[in-house]
Amino acid sequence: MVNARVPANRASVKRAAVSRASVNRPTRGYRVFQGVNGIVLTLVVAVTLYPFLNIIARSFSGERQIRAGEVTLWPKDFNLTTYRIVFGDGTFWRSYGNTVLYTVVSTVVAMTLTTVYAYVLSKKDLRGRGALIGIAVFTMFFSGGLIPNYVLITSLGLKNSIWAIALPNAISVFNLLVMKAFFENMPGELEEAAQIDGLSTYGILWRIVLPLSKAVIATMLLFYTVSFWNSWFSAFLYMDRTELMPATVYLRNLIAGATTGGNAGAGTDQLSQAAANIQSVTIVLTALPILAVYPFVQRYFVSGVMLGAVKG
Amino acid sequence: MTNHGQLSRRSLLAAAGFAGLSALTGCGSGDDGGDSKDLSKKQDGAMKNYRAGEQFKATKALSISLLHNNNPVYPTKKDWLFWQELTKRTGVTLKPVDVPLSDYEKKRSLLIGSGDAPFLIPKTYHPSEVAFVSSGAILPVSEYVHLMPNFRDKVKKWNLEPELDSIRQSDGKYYLLPGLHEKPKSGYSMAFRTDVLEKIGASLPTTWDEVYDTLKTLKDEYPDRYPLTDRWSTNTVYPAAALVSYLGQAHGIHAGWTYENVTFDRKARKFVYTGTTDQFRQVVEYLRKLVAEKLLDPESFTQTDDDAVKKLLGEKSFAISANPQELVQNYRFNLEKQVKGAKIEMIPVPVGPAGPVVLDGIRLENGVMVSSKALKSDNFVAMMQFLDWLWYSDEGQAFCKWGVEGVTYTKSGDSYALKSGISLMGSDPKAPKDLQKDFGFFNGVFTYGGSWELVSSSFSPDEKKFQDAMAERKQLPIAPPHPLESAEQEQVTLWETPLKDHMNQNMLKFVLGKRPMSQWEAYVAEAKAKNSDRLADLHTKAYERYRKDNG
Repeated sequence: MVNARVPANRASVKRAAVSRASVNRPTRGYRVFQGVNGIVLTLVVAVTLYPFLNIIARSFSGERQIRAGEVTLWPKDFNLTTYRIVFGDGTFWRSYGNTVLYTVVSTVVAMTLTTVYAYVLSKKDLRGRGALIGIAVFTMFFSGGLIPNYVLITSLGLKNSIWAIALPNAISVFNLLVMKAFFENMPGELEEAAQIDGLSTYGILWRIVLPLSKAVIATMLLFYTVSFWNSWFSAFLYMDRTELMPATVYLRNLIAGATTGGNAGAGTDQLSQAAANIQSVTIVLTALPILAVYPFVQRYFVSGVMLGAVKG
Repeated sequence: MTNHGQLSRRSLLAAAGFAGLSALTGCGSGDDGGDSKDLSKKQDGAMKNYRAGEQFKATKALSISLLHNNNPVYPTKKDWLFWQELTKRTGVTLKPVDVPLSDYEKKRSLLIGSGDAPFLIPKTYHPSEVAFVSSGAILPVSEYVHLMPNFRDKVKKWNLEPELDSIRQSDGKYYLLPGLHEKPKSGYSMAFRTDVLEKIGASLPTTWDEVYDTLKTLKDEYPDRYPLTDRWSTNTVYPAAALVSYLGQAHGIHAGWTYENVTFDRKARKFVYTGTTDQFRQVVEYLRKLVAEKLLDPESFTQTDDDAVKKLLGEKSFAISANPQELVQNYRFNLEKQVKGAKIEMIPVPVGPAGPVVLDGIRLENGVMVSSKALKSDNFVAMMQFLDWLWYSDEGQAFCKWGVEGVTYTKSGDSYALKSGISLMGSDPKAPKDLQKDFGFFNGVFTYGGSWELVSSSFSPDEKKFQDAMAERKQLPIAPPHPLESAEQEQVTLWETPLKDHMNQNMLKFVLGKRPMSQWEAYVAEAKAKNSDRLADLHTKAYERYRKDNG
């Protein structure tokens, strides 16, 4: 709610400023405000970016420099050993492939189910709508717990299959409610007109509603993709074989192995280097694809999140 | 690395979960009733006259499920020679459920709790099996060791009964088949920069008094530095966990990361609270002296391992706690790169007031739990024989560790040598194959314990020197069995954590000089207010009860 209000205010301030500017120059107070604003926001950006740049720098730096804490924004003693170890491992590529597959399939399933469910719920004259919402919201507050869930998935025969990951997480209630609110805000007249022109219910959804909902769809797509990409717990729970694990589980295990060290095949330059920056390499590798996608959906993202939030 | 002998928060959580679950489902351990002892119908594939030292071979092909800890250093491969050769020799195919090492305990709890656990559950450290006892999901294996001739043979030969007694539960049974060591294997001691000692004309210390003298000599020569800075203070609740542990050992008590809240007082035949014993006070006073005279870096008790090692590598200090691996792979490896002419050696644990001793109870290793479901299987007897052969026979242990003679290793006399082209833990960086990664041997799931000959066969020269010296020492007598009943266990759990925190905090205050030693009596009184006496009495009561019930 707070988030929703701030940009609105800022927008109106801006509009006011523009109209005033056309009459006379901006007041000194406003310029001071702009200056302070700029400085504060720059600081915020710096604080947000710094850890990220630091991680990237560490992932390319030499072991000694990392251990000595000399790496800040720029790689020192440029070094690719850890990347080479991770890339040279067949298991890594297979798990990366698994991650891509799991993410794509799960996101498609989740998007389909969430969109359809949300659209149905947005119809205020639907009988039993309250109950349908109730069922969804109930799961937000209560869950069966780990072991019962595991028993359920196992007895459904989903273990060691992609459906153990895709189905239980297919509908995120939060996303569902955002989407429902978005659909509710659509002018009913549009659908009425389409109905009069002879479109069926599915036709309306497919040809009228969805094309007008790109913003919210892009947002949900991003939410789902990121969450499936980063998730490791369901795969860890329901997969019994190494070749089925996604990259997140693989890298998590690698970190555990590198940090417990123990009887690692160490004593070689390679492994002590890997132990020094395996974590940063991991973070870079898992975050990179999402980062690459983000700029393309960011446009929708900003408007999409807001669209469902404020009625009126 | 594990914190021996303490219930972790996680296992307590698991225990709580299990209590809840068994209450909900009303499952009990008694459902097998009388016929659980009758094994005549469970002989499928079993050998009639399986004896110790004999090769186990199932009379028909069997497959047995196994929880397999997938170590990222040697990720599981289906084509490992280990799996193939095992099936060839025993007729048993293992069906591993791969679990990432990073979350092994979590998945183990989940699988056992949901009734979906594989039959064999290895890599279990005592006392984490205790969490599963009340649910009945884990087999009381002590009832079935008569099927395991090699296990019984080794227990008898190496006199391990007292150790086994220490893991018995209040019903007198034990639920874990631990790894068995012929001789205690030590882990940690101090390492010194020998080239620096040589330069200033000092020699390696053998007693704690000499340690003090040596550090003092170093301090005189380098007054601006702390001669000793230590590590192993993070990822554990105990400050300077390794140092305090082997210093405690020299005083005959479990301290540091081997800390146990109660110690058995042999003279009084009762348990006492460890944190207020005289021996513990001596440990504290010794460390306090080192800190006060600036011989021991006060940051030792809080800094990260990396920071401690950095000081060593930067020559800001000359001594540090070590284990043989860290000595070779970390300190020496990095020192040689950074400091010209640097030499570092690990000493056998310095001797203290308790004489040349090692801690009790360290001849047991992590081990195997067996799922209760296995008992319902027709193959149960064959499975126990297989388990006995693989984990407890000399042949099985040598196979797990070194592989196949003539293929992965050769043996002459007592010494094992890898075939050329095969490396183990970086022993030959140019070798194309690796014993663990490419063949699946030396796998932590199967390889631990055994005869001293076998255990020492893989020691590096440094480790061999250290372990040989330590193996000469006498083991402290093991505390008599004193298993708690579940209501007592709950009570103890409530008392233990506050007591442990109190001990740790005050040890630090005393050692760092923030609390004068004159307040020791006040500290003892505080511990009493936190039920230290009642805790010890409870253990004494359990000990007396067990002695009465079990002779």
